Amino acid sequence: MTSRAPLAWSAAGLIAAVALPWYALQEGLDSGAWLTGLWSSEDYASGFGQIVEQGRWWLAPVLLALMACLAAALVPATRQQRGTLLLIASTAGLLLFVAQALGIGLRGWTAAWLTGLFGELEVRQVGLGAGGAVVLVALLSLLSIGLALRGNFGGDAFVAGAVTTVAASIVLFTAWPILRILVQAFQDGDGVLAPVLLLERLATEKIWSLRCLSGGGRCGVAWNTLFLAIGCGVGTTVLGLAFALIVTRTSFGFKKTLRVLTVLPIVTPPFVIGLALILVFGRAGLVNQFLEWSMGIEPTRWIYGFHGVFLAQLFAFTPVAFLVLIGVVEGVSPTLEEASQTLRADRWATFTTVSLPLMRPGLANAFLVGFIESIADFGNPIVLGGDYGVLSTEIYFAVVGAQLDYGRAASLALLLLVFALGAFFLQRRIVGTGSYATISGKGDSGLPTPLPAAARRAAACVALPWAAFTLILYGFAFVGGFVKVWGRDYTPTLDHYAKAFAVEHTADGLIWTGAAWNSFWTTLKLAAIAAPLTAALGLIAAWLLVRQRFAGRAALEFATMLSFAVPGTVIGVAYVFAFNVPPIEITGTAMIIVLCFIFRNMPVGVRAGMAAMSQIDRSLDEASLTLRGRAPQTLFYVVLPLLRPALVGALVYGFVRAVTTVSAVVFLVTAEYELATTYIILRVINGDYGLAIAYSCALIVLMLAVILLIQFAVGERRLGRRAVALKGGPA
Amino acid sequence: MSVEFHNVVKRYGEATAVAGISFTVEAGTLVTLLGPSGCGKTTTLRMIAGLELPNEGRISIAGRDVTTLGATQRDVSMVFQSYALFPHMNVLENVCYGLRRSGQSREDAARHAREGLRQVGLESYEQRQPSELSGGQQQRVAVARALVLKPSVLLFDEPLSNLDARLRRQMREEIRELQLRLGLTVVYVTHDQQEAMAVSDRIIVMNAGRIEQQGSPRDLYERPATPFLARFMGESNPARGLLRRLGPETVRVRLGACEIDVANANAADGEATVAIRPEAIAVERPENGDTNSLAGTIARASYLGTHMEYSIDTAAGLLFATCPRVERPLAVGDPVALQLAPRGVIVVES
Repeated sequence: MTSRAPLAWSAAGLIAAVALPWYALQEGLDSGAWLTGLWSSEDYASGFGQIVEQGRWWLAPVLLALMACLAAALVPATRQQRGTLLLIASTAGLLLFVAQALGIGLRGWTAAWLTGLFGELEVRQVGLGAGGAVVLVALLSLLSIGLALRGNFGGDAFVAGAVTTVAASIVLFTAWPILRILVQAFQDGDGVLAPVLLLERLATEKIWSLRCLSGGGRCGVAWNTLFLAIGCGVGTTVLGLAFALIVTRTSFGFKKTLRVLTVLPIVTPPFVIGLALILVFGRAGLVNQFLEWSMGIEPTRWIYGFHGVFLAQLFAFTPVAFLVLIGVVEGVSPTLEEASQTLRADRWATFTTVSLPLMRPGLANAFLVGFIESIADFGNPIVLGGDYGVLSTEIYFAVVGAQLDYGRAASLALLLLVFALGAFFLQRRIVGTGSYATISGKGDSGLPTPLPAAARRAAACVALPWAAFTLILYGFAFVGGFVKVWGRDYTPTLDHYAKAFAVEHTADGLIWTGAAWNSFWTTLKLAAIAAPLTAALGLIAAWLLVRQRFAGRAALEFATMLSFAVPGTVIGVAYVFAFNVPPIEITGTAMIIVLCFIFRNMPVGVRAGMAAMSQIDRSLDEASLTLRGRAPQTLFYVVLPLLRPALVGALVYGFVRAVTTVSAVVFLVTAEYELATTYIILRVINGDYGLAIAYSCALIVLMLAVILLIQFAVGERRLGRRAVALKGGPA
Repeated sequence: MSVEFHNVVKRYGEATAVAGISFTVEAGTLVTLLGPSGCGKTTTLRMIAGLELPNEGRISIAGRDVTTLGATQRDVSMVFQSYALFPHMNVLENVCYGLRRSGQSREDAARHAREGLRQVGLESYEQRQPSELSGGQQQRVAVARALVLKPSVLLFDEPLSNLDARLRRQMREEIRELQLRLGLTVVYVTHDQQEAMAVSDRIIVMNAGRIEQQGSPRDLYERPATPFLARFMGESNPARGLLRRLGPETVRVRLGACEIDVANANAADGEATVAIRPEAIAVERPENGDTNSLAGTIARASYLGTHMEYSIDTAAGLLFATCPRVERPLAVGDPVALQLAPRGVIVVES
């Protein structure tokens, strides 16, 4: 590795600077037209062509730095010296690259002081293309090789490269877009900085009014969002705890059924519950019709507003809280409860003075999840909110509505971000990072204490009716797809499915005439591209965070945690702002949607990977390293086979979330790349419930099928006939 | 010279784990790094393996500077405390792993792996999963897996700590026997001084990130250079005594009423700390006319089958002694007269 890898990367970068167009092409690379214009054409020219023929002199220093890397790879030197040379040259190249990319845009210099310094430019630059991208990757690789040669990252170039890749991609696709929101919020329509504007945009009645409390009129969207989120956080935590206690601490007979309830919302697009609520409580819903029929009460629009959104979110997110809390309840060491009982505490005292306090960090965590899910939710508020606006819908209307006010959207997004991060930090401050309910490696032979009778009854009274109601809602949602017009004509029909998924057999072969096929195939394709990339990036990041020690590890972990707390709406808006101008100009492409999927969902893969990885003894990795297995081989032959459950989880999550997500992608879809969820939302807004429900059911079936497929393809972890703990030997 | 450390320093943030150590491990010898937990011995071993890279100093293995090389690029292999057998591979696959990663064909790797398994006496176990083996067998698989790569240095990180006492002695004898038979260079980490004395050609005792003393097991036991070493290598009673030089090689140590002539070349006259080995204290019932003995009373007495253990109150403090005579034990409160053997009285600090 001493000199071949840097040689290869420098050469690859330089070849790309000669043989690939530096800038992005309107028509993409496949047309091949660029092949003849690599030197002379303004649009197609390669890096060197741009410098010599087009007068884009600012690319020259970048390519000079790359040539310096080549020289560093060729001169005779010790590892240490070569590493230092590469480090200097590649860092210089990267800095120059970033400087020119940010400094020069579509309209020349991007800042007035730059124009003042260098004078007006005659040529400008558009978004980065293949050539530029390869040079950037080459420079990053050379940087990591340089670091590895100098003994950083355990002297391993693969680890160095992985760290650089993960860090660079998080900076580029999470940190940079969010930073753009900040900038945008402070800018006026012409891109001039005006800090006062942010205040003006945010300090309005529409956002902060509290009139609903005093009885007259509506509250501002910020309060609406907060009330909803706090209600949702508390509600889901209480319900989730009740379910978790019933499943783990009672002899309740239908535990399996309750577990199924936790899978449903994972494969359900978030607004399906909202739809079902409309079918039951809406103007044409069952309840209103019954009341009108039996007592002559006028149908009301009661469900549209706070009640509706709140109910829908409770239904949608309780299972998530349950998933969080079941781990927490199981994590309370039975030995501690037994100890409490031997110290003269009865069951009730044990529960209130030992078990509950031990669960407190977990409860706070469940609340945080409910809170963040609620403020990030877009589907339910848009379907059920009516006049009850929340930040996510308000942002949407600012971007796609008649207002088209990017500054306002950015300011609102900033506010939403502040709420999310505020909750995140508050939770960390209150709970701290320490959780007492961790499962230690030591065997814990105690038996979980059964719940005291009062607590058991309370939990059952709350949870069981709720579970039944959830099942009923799903049932209605399913049936709704098979009747003509809900509320008016309950004739069974397959029309909705036919309209969505019709296939005609003609002389030219199959024609996909259904209205849903276009968005269906796009969704399937983009989710299938995104899922493996999400899982790979997430697990590699987890592996780095758990297994490698390097400078900036804590910062990297913090960044992945943070991006978990950023609401999808914010990410969506941020992507629009960040990637519709050079240097990275990908708005309206499929690529931006895939990138959005990956970086939205990666944090969960990271968490799952980290949890799984910390159960695998580190000495297994080290054994492989001392047995001549290099880092990538160790990852492939030792870590991955032991991580199969986490891999399945990350793949499934990456795919399912890509299919069901609404909030982030609603800003990124175009007519060409329409996604299933955004298509369905539009149908719901138009009142076409039948088609929307039919399509949603089809999606749920698709996702269940894909989950089974992934399960089957990745397979079980093979650990020998006896069940063993994942240690290298008996501890 | 197989392994060489030159002023090697390893820091974790503010904490210094290894504070500038230098040593050499000669080819074909077994050298033990011994010390209490947290002394830096495991960090040192991991730096030989390349699992940690030093902040300062130089490391060379078989004459090659490997300071900045990672584990994969060094010609060493390691037996882990937990054995670290891959739970998703059977015994043969485990032993083949390193051979395959070094680029051997499947057939060659299997042939060499079988040879390695034969050397540790496990040739009939190749299809077993690690979980189906006993602790000692897992240990042997781990040894075979490291051995088949024919490394310049073989490393053992507390390899016996997961075994029961009986198996521990058997395994340490096997490891020593294998090392001598194949002429291996071995660096071995343990916190158990008996184990270290039983297997080593040389022992390097570490404490708080530094090397306290190095030498043969006999050197360290009989001539500990510091009070720490006297305490750590075997049991010893610290006591204050008065020193007077008799000749270039001998000093006279006065402890209470008793005087012992001890071999020592450099201690100065005056008060000094001495260490008294428990087996060097002969515990006798007092008789009239006892000269040159230390009077005391039994404070505690325990019967251990092979010997008695006594704690005795004396003018030189509470002394711990072992006594091979078990048939007529002394009881608590009995007066005794202690005779000290010069071999077990060591001047550690003057």
